[in-house]
Amino acid sequence: MPFEGVINFVNGLSAGQILAYFWPFFLLDMTRYLFLDVIVILIYIPKRILNKARFLNARKRLYKELPLISVIVPGKNEGKHIPRLAYSLDNQTYKNIELIVVDDGSDDNTATICRELERKGKIQCFIRNEVRGGKASAANTALKYSNGKYVIHIDADSHLAYDAVETILLPFYMNPNIGAVGGDVRVANAEETFATRMQAIEYLKSISTGRTISSELNILRIIAGAHGAFRRDVLDRLYGWDVGPGLDGDITLKIRKLGFRVVHEPMAICYTNVPTTFWRLAKQRFRWDRSMVRFRVRKHRDVLFPSAQFNFANFMATAENIFFNIILDIKWCIYFIQMVVFYPDQLEYIFIINYFLYLMANILEFVVACALLHLSLRPRDYFLAVFIPLIPFYTGLFLRIVRTYAYLMEFLYGASYMDKWNPWKVSRIAKREKL
Amino acid sequence: MRKPWVIKTDNKHSVPVNVDCVAIDQIDSLPVEDVAYWLIDMRIWQDGWQTLCQVRRHLSPKVYLRPVVFLMESMEMPAEIQKAADGHINLVSVDNAILEDWVSRVEPVNHWINHLAHVDEAQDTNIAFKVLRLITSRNMELEPVTTVRRNSGYVYPILEPLFGKRDTGVMETLSFLESQHLLTGKYVSKAHYCSHCGSAFLNFKESCPHCSSDDLAVDELVHHFKCAYIAEMSEFKHGDHLQCPKCERELRHIGVDYDKPSMVFHCNQCSHTFQDPKIMVACYNCGRSTEPENQIVKVIQSYSVSAIGLNAAEYGLEALFTNILDSELRLYSINAFHDFFHVEAARISRYKISSSSLAMIQFRDIDQLYIKLGGRAQEVFAELSAIFKSVLRQSDIITARNESIFFVIMTETKKQEAYRAIERLQEDVVALFKNNLDFSPQLVISIEAIDEQMDLEKTLEDFLGNHAV
Repeated sequence: MPFEGVINFVNGLSAGQILAYFWPFFLLDMTRYLFLDVIVILIYIPKRILNKARFLNARKRLYKELPLISVIVPGKNEGKHIPRLAYSLDNQTYKNIELIVVDDGSDDNTATICRELERKGKIQCFIRNEVRGGKASAANTALKYSNGKYVIHIDADSHLAYDAVETILLPFYMNPNIGAVGGDVRVANAEETFATRMQAIEYLKSISTGRTISSELNILRIIAGAHGAFRRDVLDRLYGWDVGPGLDGDITLKIRKLGFRVVHEPMAICYTNVPTTFWRLAKQRFRWDRSMVRFRVRKHRDVLFPSAQFNFANFMATAENIFFNIILDIKWCIYFIQMVVFYPDQLEYIFIINYFLYLMANILEFVVACALLHLSLRPRDYFLAVFIPLIPFYTGLFLRIVRTYAYLMEFLYGASYMDKWNPWKVSRIAKREKL
Repeated sequence: MRKPWVIKTDNKHSVPVNVDCVAIDQIDSLPVEDVAYWLIDMRIWQDGWQTLCQVRRHLSPKVYLRPVVFLMESMEMPAEIQKAADGHINLVSVDNAILEDWVSRVEPVNHWINHLAHVDEAQDTNIAFKVLRLITSRNMELEPVTTVRRNSGYVYPILEPLFGKRDTGVMETLSFLESQHLLTGKYVSKAHYCSHCGSAFLNFKESCPHCSSDDLAVDELVHHFKCAYIAEMSEFKHGDHLQCPKCERELRHIGVDYDKPSMVFHCNQCSHTFQDPKIMVACYNCGRSTEPENQIVKVIQSYSVSAIGLNAAEYGLEALFTNILDSELRLYSINAFHDFFHVEAARISRYKISSSSLAMIQFRDIDQLYIKLGGRAQEVFAELSAIFKSVLRQSDIITARNESIFFVIMTETKKQEAYRAIERLQEDVVALFKNNLDFSPQLVISIEAIDEQMDLEKTLEDFLGNHAV
């Protein structure tokens, strides 16, 4: 019986052998992700309860001031999603909002849909750029014509929970040094396919929980483009976004470099549509992962070295990211070679036990996410637990392979400069200028 | 030998040439057939214009059709006023030779006037008929001229003096004559008119969709590729070159360093920014503002006289076939015909004991017929009307769409019987022309049984669509 064999194998292991066989889990993943998650969340949840009065006070100040909020939505061929987004803004608890949509050279009926919404007063300003310029230029166009004291950047294929605008603004009224607030991003189309269910679980873990923890540790490195709020004066100082892909991570680090804090607000919820097939998902992650190399390792590597502007938190935010995501990506190769060379007879048991360990870790992370977000979770979110047994394969195999390939292609060929995500004219300049 | 006559105007100037002159109210005492043309002093053109209007509004065709030549010192008068006359002579250079030259130039017009039937005792009271005769007498293509002096924006100069303020407009009169096939229109242009007052003087303005103000600024957006910065062109202008405010790099080549993805309007009143301005049309005349789609669009045409019109101008409207037919059979208006049709259809449906038919008849080459008939038209049409009268019955309802298309409700007549009757009409008509004129007019005939389901509009339109030319 393989199960009995596994039990016997585990019973026969000494502490040293456990470390030798399962060091990636016990030394790295469990320590960084599981223990840290549990500890921080155990501190964060009571702290949030204790801070209830501060939240209420911030809310009171927000409504007393009632600043204009600009919601900016750049996008190409996203017209079909815009009505839902516009109506979700209409139903916000906070009402002093202007919606600015920029159509980045769409070749579908986006302009017709948006002009109609503009006529109905659902969009306050619609700008169509006849020539596509890329996401950053579209976001900058929207920024140019926004008038709000705070600017919320939302992806066109997203919509907001009824109190998202109000909630994402509260941190600005709790700490004047906050320059940007990341909103929580949940999967809107979780029930659509198997791939979207996997991403729904991943988002709960890595965005809702992971970014809350990074925020608490002051090493948050990204305010998602899908849902992020910025102080207008900060964006004006930066003249908006730089050329992407990965412009959201880039601007987050630039805000940090200005000396502002960036935080994550898990209760400000945005629902976004994620890729419905693994192939599309792989293409999306390929783009995201390459931008990590391009921006962390190349563009902003100055934060890693001593200088007059050196900031330890910024150093940690970048160093942690580079170490755990990029450098440790090769640990799997080392671990795999080690197992095949030294323990070829125990491979079967090692694989099963690794699966079991990571399954337990994922269950625990899901429990942590539920504990953190329970007030905002919908019943169907809990049913995602059924799919957790498949998550080790999704993150451990699928995402890891895509990530490794992306890093290699970016290091070796600078593949992000050839991405069709930007128009060729922009990519050409970005490559020439080593942006 | 005809000679020119000067018509005295109200101004204090003496008559500038050595030509007989007459006051406007003394015209009737002149032997007008000996007048070659009326000379009008236009040194004070407003006075001259009044005189011209009085001439053209005279009821005698011998007077109002007579050519008019302006005596002018300078060309400082609106173009449409100058063109209202048959010509003009410069006062500085006027001499007998020029005056004589004009006598011969206008002789064809005078010749046409003097050959009109009953011209001595005729009094043309119908403005449309006067228009028709004036155009025909000049054998001209009536061209519209743009003007700022009339709300319509276009005038037909030679016709303007005919119309007092209370008369139906020139354009409406021309449209009526065209609908009667007396004139033929040719497309010249299209014009927009105010839906409230009919003025052509409209100001199309881009305005703010929020506050409707037309105080707008428009600017091009510039996208700098390197740093993704986008702003209005004015933000990039740095002396005589473009410089990015974000990265301070100079923008050298459009398409290489930067592009212009769009244009943006900015309202100076409410600060709204937009790309799709609301177009509003303000009328200079009545001051009202409306959307462009609410304006009236009219086709502006030039006109020439058709063969039917030529005949009518020479022999009078009484010579038209429809007029003669009307006196013999009584033609109903199209609206009355519709009412009769609906009553008949309802009656047939209610009692289900009788049948009636709808006959549609078209004379294909009626223009040729008018040309061929000339002065005999009235006589021949009287015979034609007699044929209609013999075939149709007192109880039949007949209407004419124009000179060539007729619709008849043949009451208590089955489709086959209607065919037989109309065939008889066709045979008699063909025989009339064949025997008297060696001419075979082409008749297109269609018969339909009337029932409640029949859509009269559609049936008539189908007939016109399939057969009318």
